[in-house]
Amino acid sequence: MLGSEATWSAKWAIARRELASLRTEKTIVLAIVIQVFIAAFSSFLVVGLVSLYDPTSVEGGELVVAVTGDDPEALLAAAAERDGIDARWASDRSSAYSAFEERRVAAVLDASRDADGRLAVRVTAPDEGIGTTLLIVELRGLLEDVERTERASSVDRLETVPLAVPADAGASPYFGFTYTVLLPLLLFLPVFISGSIVVDSLTEERQRGTLELLRVAPLSLADVVDAKLVSMAALAPVQAIAWLVLLVLNGTAVANVPALVILVAALALIVVGAGVAIALVAPDRRQAQLLFSGTVIGILVVASVLPEHPANTVAKLAVGSATSVTWLLFAGYCLLGAATFFGVRWGVARLEAESL
Amino acid sequence: MRLRRIGRIARWEVTKGAGTLDRKTVFALVVLALLVGVVGVSAFDDGGGLEDGIYVVGVDAESAEGDPYRQVVAASPEFRLEETTITAFRLGESDADVFVGGPRLLESDGSTKGDAAYAAFRDAIERYNYESMLAEPDEAAAFPVTVSVQYQERAPASADGSGSGDASSGGFDGSGAEGGAGSGGAPDGASSGSGEGGGLGIPDVGGGLGERIEAGTPSALSPPFPFGPLILAFLFVVPMNFVIQAYGSTILDERIKRRGELLLVSPASRYEIVAGKTLPYLLGLVAIVVVLAVALEGGVLSVLGALPIALVFLAATFVGAMLARSFKELTFVTVAISVFMTTYTFVPAIFTEVTAIALISPLTIVVMDLQGESVTLGQYLFSTGPFYLVAAVLFLLGIGLYREEDMFAQKAIPAKVVDALVSRLHGYRSVPLLSILFVPFVFVGQLLAVALLFPAPEALALPLLLVFAAAIEELAKSIHVYAGIARSRFDASLRTALVLGVLSGGGFFVGEKLTHAVQFVGLPDLPAGQVVFGQALTSDPLLVLALFLVPLVVHATTATISAIGASYGRTQYAAAFVLATLLHAGYNLGVILLVV
Repeated sequence: MLGSEATWSAKWAIARRELASLRTEKTIVLAIVIQVFIAAFSSFLVVGLVSLYDPTSVEGGELVVAVTGDDPEALLAAAAERDGIDARWASDRSSAYSAFEERRVAAVLDASRDADGRLAVRVTAPDEGIGTTLLIVELRGLLEDVERTERASSVDRLETVPLAVPADAGASPYFGFTYTVLLPLLLFLPVFISGSIVVDSLTEERQRGTLELLRVAPLSLADVVDAKLVSMAALAPVQAIAWLVLLVLNGTAVANVPALVILVAALALIVVGAGVAIALVAPDRRQAQLLFSGTVIGILVVASVLPEHPANTVAKLAVGSATSVTWLLFAGYCLLGAATFFGVRWGVARLEAESL
Repeated sequence: MRLRRIGRIARWEVTKGAGTLDRKTVFALVVLALLVGVVGVSAFDDGGGLEDGIYVVGVDAESAEGDPYRQVVAASPEFRLEETTITAFRLGESDADVFVGGPRLLESDGSTKGDAAYAAFRDAIERYNYESMLAEPDEAAAFPVTVSVQYQERAPASADGSGSGDASSGGFDGSGAEGGAGSGGAPDGASSGSGEGGGLGIPDVGGGLGERIEAGTPSALSPPFPFGPLILAFLFVVPMNFVIQAYGSTILDERIKRRGELLLVSPASRYEIVAGKTLPYLLGLVAIVVVLAVALEGGVLSVLGALPIALVFLAATFVGAMLARSFKELTFVTVAISVFMTTYTFVPAIFTEVTAIALISPLTIVVMDLQGESVTLGQYLFSTGPFYLVAAVLFLLGIGLYREEDMFAQKAIPAKVVDALVSRLHGYRSVPLLSILFVPFVFVGQLLAVALLFPAPEALALPLLLVFAAAIEELAKSIHVYAGIARSRFDASLRTALVLGVLSGGGFFVGEKLTHAVQFVGLPDLPAGQVVFGQALTSDPLLVLALFLVPLVVHATTATISAIGASYGRTQYAAAFVLATLLHAGYNLGVILLVV
């Protein structure tokens, strides 16, 4: 069945036709533009959010805050140690609050000792959107410094001594995001797109009735479906390679590139195989696409019961922290991909062609 | 009569849509939803495990099992423990990214990954300390500092506007091309506080913080999330992405196997058919938006802000489905519409509190409404007007294709676009009208170009922007003229070309000035006067009038050049178009050089 020369060339012709239709319709261009857009958009959001919660990553002037109350020394001393906050002592409360009202200071910190000997700090901050967020982040850092020194002075009352926190060293705040979100996203999107194309391609042939014409050709329905499956599944690893090359050129070190590409190919076989099955069973395109998207989301969610989520497997492989579990799962995906391919073949061969 | 037909077609659409959704599909979807629900809730409690085990931490193989640093590793799923020795680590003989060997010994292996692991381990130690302090019996010693935060409204600053940069308007003729957002509001000088904190029912994402008091330890201090209303507003856009999938399918279905023929030969006009087929989807979207608005405690304004977005989503999908040649193409067209529209509405809304330019997205209206701010009629019109216009124009163009010769034939897309344009041309008077209608598209295109070229180096971005801005305006002025001549609506003579060019250029000029007028009404904060009249170089009224009219001459001239090109054929049109673009870009450059 697989052997004869003529079948191979006929199948190759169908695969070529499938890829050529992507080219003439410029669909693939659109698909790539969409992926770039999604990647850029998510990166944009993350960079924005990280810089929002990490004020040191954006340039900014010093914040001026007023410190008042009975016991301001600890706060003033900690502020003197920190960049970014300029704490000024205000001897009476009312002048501090009027400075706040007149916008001469960004916030008022009112520090006093309570009955337990704790330092109670009352912060009065403005309600002004992003500015307030930055201010609170900065104040939290200051207050944590104060907490650390205060705690150290009463350390004999503690059962466990807190661990020393090492000095801060500059590390890219985006490192984790690149490997755990961006890279899996870029590798999974082509897989999803390939599956979606196969669903469209098969439902359209069914709805237009052209699948019947193809059956006049000297090859079985299984061969036709096969050719579509393989050509679309092959598209995903090609795109994955392109993304990996771009990331590497951009200075992101990616380990285990061959394994990642094989993993994408295996996942593509699984997802495209599911797409083929859905397209042959569902009554029309709307339902086929709905079921396909639902299934993919379902697979992604249900996969979290695995010891590693597929996205985590990708991240571990790419960052170079793969364990034996990672490699076992990798082998599992490859097996499952092959099983899906042969399963779909087997199922289609048993399908009544007239029922489509 | 007409309404009854529309209603009947809409009813068919609903019953057909419900009828084809068979029981097996519904069953499969319900099973999927249950599965996702059950597994998802349990799995995503712990953050989904995306970061699990990505860093390897080396500890001394000799150290005790109860070593606190081993416990730090065990407490954070992002680390994997590896037993090694400091010498092996320093020689690079272990897989570890960082080595921890005691209070003073935390070392990165020097790679980027090692540095990231170092920072992550530092955070993990802080979390570990916090957890162990929680277990202390002597609370006062464990947490010697307590904090309470009170958020308080302040009177607006007397010197206004220190927070928002002066952003130029979208027009490229009179003013320079320096668009973009101002610098973020500095903490003690933000231009406008949010209005009365119209607290939302949902915790932590509320709009105004109001006089809320938070108390706890310093580490428990959570900075207010400033984009709460934005995220909520985003919820309005999400369902639209799904509805247009179904809508695109139903439109393309009509074109497969000539199914739409039956409706076309019925007494219903194509306007009625399209209105009937669109109505259920529009009503469905409005219903979703209303439900969301009620749930999020938004007002009528939220619905009115989301409506134009829904209309553009549907209109763009309609045109896409009329042009698409296959399901595959339709899928990508709808996804492209989703991505583009989501970005276009979402990104400007981020800057709601920073600059008035955020109003180019109607989502900003929704955000403002959710924050309890008031919106003026001018702001509403400025924000949603272009969207209503764009939706109307797209529907009109799409309906132009809703006829036998375009629906069922495999025509090239450019030919279909020309067909769509020609169907709107009824004599000379349509030419300036279409030019005016294209102004919002030009506006959107130019803004998009500014946004895309914003990060590029200025030496590259500015010339590109100048040429692109000119090109898109020239396209808007000449494409329908070309379509009319190519489909023989107008004769290909020099005299006709001259008339068409002047009409088109004049129409565009009027449209542009209308936009500026809307801006002037909607955004009085912007230096609108200089946009309309150019920079106030002189107070001589005659000269001001001349400066006002120069763009008219430029528009008319360049439009005439392309019109003459169009009257000779396609290649000549392309050449003339390039010439007109260059001329226009040169003029823009001249204006900028004169002003700056």
